[in-house]
Amino acid sequence: MSNFFYVAPEQMIKDRAEFAQKGIARGRSILAAIYDRGVVMVAENTSASLNKISEIYDRIAFAGVGRYNEFDRLREAGIRWADGTGYTYSREDVDARALANYYAQHVGDMFSEGPKPLEVEILVAQLGNQFRETKLYRVAYEGTISDEPNFAVLGGDAETIKARFAAVEETPATLATTLHHAVDALAGTDRTIPVSDLEVAILEDRGNRRTFTRLSDAQVSELLSG
Amino acid sequence: MGLPLFRAHEDPGPSFVHFADAAGLSGPAAFGGDAPHATTVIAVRYVGGVVMVGDRQATGNYIASRDVRKIEAADRFTAIAISGSAARGIEFIRMAQLSFEHYEKMTDAALTLEGKANYLSPIVQRNNLSTPLVVLPLLAGWDRGHRVGRIFEYDGAGGCYERQDFATIGSGSPFAESALRLGFRSDLDRSAALELGALALYEAGDNDPSTGGPDFVRGIFPMMVIVDESGFYELPVDEAASHFRTIAERRTASGGVAGGTLR
Repeated sequence: MSNFFYVAPEQMIKDRAEFAQKGIARGRSILAAIYDRGVVMVAENTSASLNKISEIYDRIAFAGVGRYNEFDRLREAGIRWADGTGYTYSREDVDARALANYYAQHVGDMFSEGPKPLEVEILVAQLGNQFRETKLYRVAYEGTISDEPNFAVLGGDAETIKARFAAVEETPATLATTLHHAVDALAGTDRTIPVSDLEVAILEDRGNRRTFTRLSDAQVSELLSG
Repeated sequence: MGLPLFRAHEDPGPSFVHFADAAGLSGPAAFGGDAPHATTVIAVRYVGGVVMVGDRQATGNYIASRDVRKIEAADRFTAIAISGSAARGIEFIRMAQLSFEHYEKMTDAALTLEGKANYLSPIVQRNNLSTPLVVLPLLAGWDRGHRVGRIFEYDGAGGCYERQDFATIGSGSPFAESALRLGFRSDLDRSAALELGALALYEAGDNDPSTGGPDFVRGIFPMMVIVDESGFYELPVDEAASHFRTIAERRTASGGVAGGTLR
């Protein structure tokens, strides 16, 4: 017979939060911001193929930090949910808020009931149109969901990066300006991030149904040098 | 639908059809009585790509619709056309479009044209062997790897066959095929391929009651599509109309006889 010791819920939550925070803090951050024509997502990522930012649906993108296998499974579930919902109802019925809520429920369940909390933070970005607003939903490791007004930072040193970005970017600017500010905020003052270590994607209306576009290193360099 | 999470060994992978089965989204195929069916669609290879021409009529015991789109872009470099049951066909196109895009988003890589052609085989097979509402698709596109236009046709049991020259589907096929067999050359350029495709469809519309030819009264004309290295392109109505107007004028002048030449 094994013995069960009483652990106060406060203590358990504290331990679990500490565990998840540690896992997330190990990785690099992601910054997503609304610019004048869309949403830009910038991640520091040394891998060119293991993406942190991904397309979910026509006007919805996903970004994840923390453990790759954990957030990638959530990414896949998101694509399945979106394609399944669009197939069952219509493409216009696929809403980022509903997806963010599902993520929050699952991540929250894993935090309180799972064998271990998920060491991830998720961002669901939606490009607005006549039916919906442009939105950035951030889902934290314990399942809290927040609707971030103009920009959101996930992962490691989020508060510092947030402060750096907020100090320079006031109102939604052009893509080039916002990207500039985002990369500067991620890098800080004492280092520069090489373009090859940046993963950048945007949601922007360019006349196609699908609005998600990955920006190549060349495109990012051009935007940053302009 | 909740968040569809799967354990690693039960995961349906990047296939939308397998996911739809696992999530219970794809119901059993239904059987109805008078299903509208249709069609002549033609695909012709030319030097820089493929041309597709398709009529617009859905036919039950009477004409059910005059402006059906039987050719759609399955993705940027692939056109898909259907013949047979309209209900199942439209669902089939939806499933194909969704599946190719789903695969691309899941894996961050587009399927090859041959991969798309093979993927459709079991979908055709499942539909046709489980319902009397038979659907036969025609897939044509630009193969970005091999830089060539390619055409794939299917038999009723889902067999997929690549065609080097041209392919036709639908009830008007015999008439369209006759024209294509006489007019096809391996060195066709785009405008010659469009002209031949239009002529073959005109022949089918002229002889087959289930194929709608050009409708000058309503201004409805067969769809004409090009897929080449810059992707899927549908000819504007004016351009499609002018192809058919030219043929109609020639035939009117000669009293409805082709006159021994292919025109």
